[in-house]
Amino acid sequence: MKPIDQCPSTRGKRDIAEAAPELGKLSGRAYWRSLDEYVGTPAFKEFVEREFPAGASELLESSRRSFLKVMGAGFALAGAATIPGCRRPERHIMTYANQVPEEVIPGKALYYATAMPLPGGGAEGLLVETHTGRPTKIEGNPLHPVNRGRSTALSQASVLDLYDPDRLKYVEYENPVRGRLPATIDDFKAWAGPHFARFDETRGRGLAFIADKKTSPSRDAMRDLVLARWPQARWVAWNAAETRGQIEGTRAAFGRPMRVHHDLRGVRVVLSLDADFMDEGSDSLVNARAFGATRMPMSAGDPMSRLYQVESRPTGTGSIADHRFRLAPSRIAGFVVEVAKALGVEVPAGLDMPAGEDVDLEHVRAIAADLRANQGHAVVIAGPGQPAAVHALVAAINSAAVLGAAGSLVSYMPMHAEEASDASAGLTELTRDMRAGRVDTLVCIDANPLYDAPADVDFAGAWAEVGARVTLSVAANETAAASTWSLNGCHYLEAWGDVEAADGTLSIVQPMIAPLYGPAFSELELLSFLAGPEHGGSAEPDGYDIVAGVWASRLGVQVGDRSFVKQMRQAMHDGMLNGSAVASTAPAPDLAAIEALMTRLTLRPPPSSDHLEVVFHTGRLGDGRHANNGWLQELPELGTQVVWDNPVCMSPKTAEELGLLPRASYRDKYDPYTSGQMPKARVATMTLGGHELDVAVWLFPGMPDNTVACKLGYGRTVSGLVGEGVGWNTYRLRDGNTASARGARLADTGRKFTIVSTQNHWSLEGRTSIVRAMDKPYWDKHGGTVEQIKDEIYGTHTSALTAAEMIGEMSHTPPNVSLYTNPQNRSKDEPDPENTRFSKILKREVKPDFAKGPQWGMSIDLGSCTGCGTCTIACQSENNIPIVGKSEVAKGREMSWVRVDRYFVGDDLNNPDEIIAQPVSCVHCENAPCETVCPVNATVHGPEGTNDMAYNRCIGTRYCANNCPYKVRRFNFFEYGIAKFRGGLDEDYVPESMSEGINEAMREDRTFNQNFIPPRLREKVDEIERMQKNPDVTIRSRGVMEKCSYCIQRINKARQEVKVKGLWNQPDQTGPIPDGFFQAACQQACPSDSIVFGDVLDPNSRVSAARASGRTYMLLGYLNTRPRTTYAMRVRNPNPAIRVYDEHDPLDHGGHDDKHDDGSHEGGHASAFIDSAKRYTDEGYAASLRVLS
Amino acid sequence: MASLFPRWMNALPTLVAVATLGGAVAVVSGVTYWFTPKFWEVGYMPDQPGSGFNHQIHAGMLGMDCRYCHTNVENAWDANIPTVSTCIGCHGPNKVLAANTSAPREHDERTEFIRTAYDNGESIPWINVHVIPDYATFPHAVHVQAGVSCYSCHGQIAGMPVVYQAESLSMSWCLDCHRNPEENLVPRDRVTDLLGLEQDWFAKQVDEREYEGVTPAQLIDTLLREPPQHCGACHF
Repeated sequence: MKPIDQCPSTRGKRDIAEAAPELGKLSGRAYWRSLDEYVGTPAFKEFVEREFPAGASELLESSRRSFLKVMGAGFALAGAATIPGCRRPERHIMTYANQVPEEVIPGKALYYATAMPLPGGGAEGLLVETHTGRPTKIEGNPLHPVNRGRSTALSQASVLDLYDPDRLKYVEYENPVRGRLPATIDDFKAWAGPHFARFDETRGRGLAFIADKKTSPSRDAMRDLVLARWPQARWVAWNAAETRGQIEGTRAAFGRPMRVHHDLRGVRVVLSLDADFMDEGSDSLVNARAFGATRMPMSAGDPMSRLYQVESRPTGTGSIADHRFRLAPSRIAGFVVEVAKALGVEVPAGLDMPAGEDVDLEHVRAIAADLRANQGHAVVIAGPGQPAAVHALVAAINSAAVLGAAGSLVSYMPMHAEEASDASAGLTELTRDMRAGRVDTLVCIDANPLYDAPADVDFAGAWAEVGARVTLSVAANETAAASTWSLNGCHYLEAWGDVEAADGTLSIVQPMIAPLYGPAFSELELLSFLAGPEHGGSAEPDGYDIVAGVWASRLGVQVGDRSFVKQMRQAMHDGMLNGSAVASTAPAPDLAAIEALMTRLTLRPPPSSDHLEVVFHTGRLGDGRHANNGWLQELPELGTQVVWDNPVCMSPKTAEELGLLPRASYRDKYDPYTSGQMPKARVATMTLGGHELDVAVWLFPGMPDNTVACKLGYGRTVSGLVGEGVGWNTYRLRDGNTASARGARLADTGRKFTIVSTQNHWSLEGRTSIVRAMDKPYWDKHGGTVEQIKDEIYGTHTSALTAAEMIGEMSHTPPNVSLYTNPQNRSKDEPDPENTRFSKILKREVKPDFAKGPQWGMSIDLGSCTGCGTCTIACQSENNIPIVGKSEVAKGREMSWVRVDRYFVGDDLNNPDEIIAQPVSCVHCENAPCETVCPVNATVHGPEGTNDMAYNRCIGTRYCANNCPYKVRRFNFFEYGIAKFRGGLDEDYVPESMSEGINEAMREDRTFNQNFIPPRLREKVDEIERMQKNPDVTIRSRGVMEKCSYCIQRINKARQEVKVKGLWNQPDQTGPIPDGFFQAACQQACPSDSIVFGDVLDPNSRVSAARASGRTYMLLGYLNTRPRTTYAMRVRNPNPAIRVYDEHDPLDHGGHDDKHDDGSHEGGHASAFIDSAKRYTDEGYAASLRVLS
Repeated sequence: MASLFPRWMNALPTLVAVATLGGAVAVVSGVTYWFTPKFWEVGYMPDQPGSGFNHQIHAGMLGMDCRYCHTNVENAWDANIPTVSTCIGCHGPNKVLAANTSAPREHDERTEFIRTAYDNGESIPWINVHVIPDYATFPHAVHVQAGVSCYSCHGQIAGMPVVYQAESLSMSWCLDCHRNPEENLVPRDRVTDLLGLEQDWFAKQVDEREYEGVTPAQLIDTLLREPPQHCGACHF
């Protein structure tokens, strides 16, 4: 620390602008998690020095009085409540009454296949775990060609939407005189019959439908029935977040809209133009799986792909790119034009990219040369936000002979008609009709246009002109709340349906449970009911009959046919109709049409700070429909790590130019809530195309300059307890279906707003070489080399330093010599201990050590991890992890067992070289520091290498968390597991300094923080919400520490299954549980196969193979914790013509006193490290160092 | 000054010491005896709904196998309580069993609640006797598979007109068996033979037990793994 930092007069006055990085470096480059860390603000230092942020351990000062008030009431009631508690409570066992489903075995989960329709088209094939009839966990369907057993965060979290306590539960009717009344579905039927019959005369004029856009043949069939009855009726397939580039681009190139498929298996070079192809879109799982595999070289010389990512905001895919270029979205068209020219693909003459500092044309030529050199193995991918001309040109490039990608790497299939329809044009026309009074009845099906209609469409104004408004919705939403008839719908886990996946696979949507709030219409049933019996529908519609009818006619058979029944049963088992994928082709593009489209393209210079460019995108909440899903609200946004809000993001440079740098809060008055640790975001007025919105500003390194990223889906006003008043509704700025727009202005309002980001939470305090990476040439040179060191103590782990370990501290620290012998760590050569208790009992030698299988371990690959967060949600769902709300996250109390750390790399604040995501959960150290400090032995080691928590033993000292170098332990400060949490902030609870800038919606109806109410009185989680909990995992109560358990419930179940089924019948007890017999929840969900879990002693297991790679390293391995979770270093494959990352060999440390770049110290060996020449001999010295430090 | 402390006061220190010691012994022994699941839990015998289920008649006198009703005990963590339709299999209207009993009318009256529940499609709210806390798990399937008899945990169920808790189900009690499984292992095909086991197996000392050539020592050898004693085996 420099003297200037300690001087009170200068403290806190350092600014980002004048800051110099003070970071530990690895390979000469800085790794940082946030701007605060980069700058080294005092607030940041204070923050990371604490195990939990200040305030996390204390009750709130300012509300002590109200706290005492509430406590007093609590004690009074607590006394009353304990008196009957003297009796032993009776627990009942309720059995099935009459009919027992044969397959239901209490205590055993059943898995059913289904599919989740995705907004805008496509589907995920899923396998749903149900416990005695209630779905609790979503897995990917291993048979489904899209999922192949994997899933996304959205589908993982969708099970919580089913149990949303704020769901619509019954029919509501807006009586013109008496106001809003509860009604029944029969009331609706009685009203709807004559009401809709009126439209028969006008052939449907005056009738309109807005339905969620999806690719469902049965929905299409029902739509056709309705439109056959009322041909004049208007039908809008609505998708709020829609962009048109791909549809119009392929229409121009091929004459009809096409879905673009990429087969990235074995690809060598990818140029991605604003395409987050691994995380976004209905085929992201396919891409993540295929492309992820090309990023994991196992040994030196293995082929791997090279990814050039040109993007308008940092994305997950961009984070694993070898070269990442930040570029305003409108500039990307120019970029691809230049690439096309360099490749010799024809573009109209005179089309040149206007010069700008943001692009180096040398790089463009280098990329083109690389694409050309890998002809047949290179592909260009255009992102959904790019305009039609870019998509058309990319189609031309891919099919040009110079690339030869079409047919193999890229192929096309006809797009579903509804998917190709223009949602925003439809809504615009409909709104015009509504305004003109030409719409008498409007039916909204799973759509919420009152919230997400584009800003240039005054849908809300036209809404009042409609006579009768009928909505069918699962979740509470703005549209349902303002409609004449609000019908409670069926979640996809409650209804029959079908949907086409991205590759055309016809997938079945099966109900897992009867509608929780029945009777309820599914969308198919509502449409069938409206069509009526005379027009092919039904007065008492049944979802299954509808789907079976549509499928039978598609297959050309009768519903009653034996073959069809058999086929249907097979489809229900598999989750899809086998072989129904549509063959994709590679037609020749119409070059003339593409050229015509290109001539209309204007290439723009870079945006400027008074004409900003805005890019709209969706985030964790999708288009906003998941707003009441607490898991997704609390999943840190990829890159920014922001939870519970959607500030607009821009680069630090742009923010500085606009005067929107955050106010460092340590200048503010003392704030007991966060102790001044949270920088306050400025609230700025954003003006775009005549629309205005006050929105908070967040600094995001890696954003293109003068470009603002605007996340859609927040700012809901009617959604329920969780989602209301969280963030800002940025649809209010977006015209039509624009993906990006120019000409925005941002002006400081002078207000500020607390944005909560987890980027500084659980920081490993500047320790270096936490994430490691190496350029491919050096990997190829060193990947196979291992430095053999004597491993005196351990028999279960490699006794060698891999290439990855040699670039970290392990090559500098002395060999691990322990004074304390861990009884479970024994060398293989050491004789077995005799006469243990077991050997006596079992008349046979038993080894109570890590040398006996199974021994569990995990490997996480940083090469393919995009930081999508699916593992976090999968873990949350499997292990009953609660959400805690924004105010608690602000204090660092988030409970997620798997956190995904994000590191920026490099010295440029605005343009980090790399962005690396690293999932961290408990690494299950063999020498676990937490275990030695627990006073009550609540955390202890299992014989299979797991670090176990006995929750009911824990007394909450938190010593273990203090002693955990990985910061993976989570403490239940309150009864999070059973309490309800609100989103947003509770104004009365939050000090004024923090609540400043809270928007109006949030101010209303926020009386107190429920966390401060004694548990006994607190509003408990609904019975309904409790149904989601996994019965195999204890729900932790207040005052208990918890952390990743390696899914020990799954381990135990698997072991027992193996025993009971007789699969594990080797009497020597060392037979492994078959690899892949079960998976950890995070592993099972991971789209890019980055997480591998299994038995590390089984030489044939996948995890053993992963750990055998030279990329394997132990996180903080030099601490001698011997973590069971190892990481695989990232290998970069840069194009030397553009740049290399490792300027010299990362393993070549030169002379001993030379400055070297392993990150451990700044040149010369610091005294803490002993001479490497001595490291094999001077063990006593090494031991003494360990004792002293 | 001599009158300030009467003579008997000389015995006070001794008395205090004895009382303290005695008190301490009383507290320690009291806590050890009374503050235990063994004291509080053993003998818990709630009134079951209707006329209850008489295990003495069904499992003892009629010799029905445990698994006739507890069908999943070999497959799942839970040994399920049978559904109402299992009861109605014998106690349905016009079943022969009613006529064969010595007191048909009384029998009909006593089993009426089953038929009522069945007709109404309702579940019978049986009261859970052997309660394991939510933070602990007990997988029946592996125990039965390993050869732990029902008798070891539930006592002589076949002799209980009303089921009561026969063992403490405390953690130390679990561990006693996990440390010395020999005492409770029986030949796997006799796991549910409670009456027979009580007479010719559990009545003998461990080293005298033998059935068709099978001894506890041999049973130990067939175990696939030593009984676990770490926290994570049961608490997660």
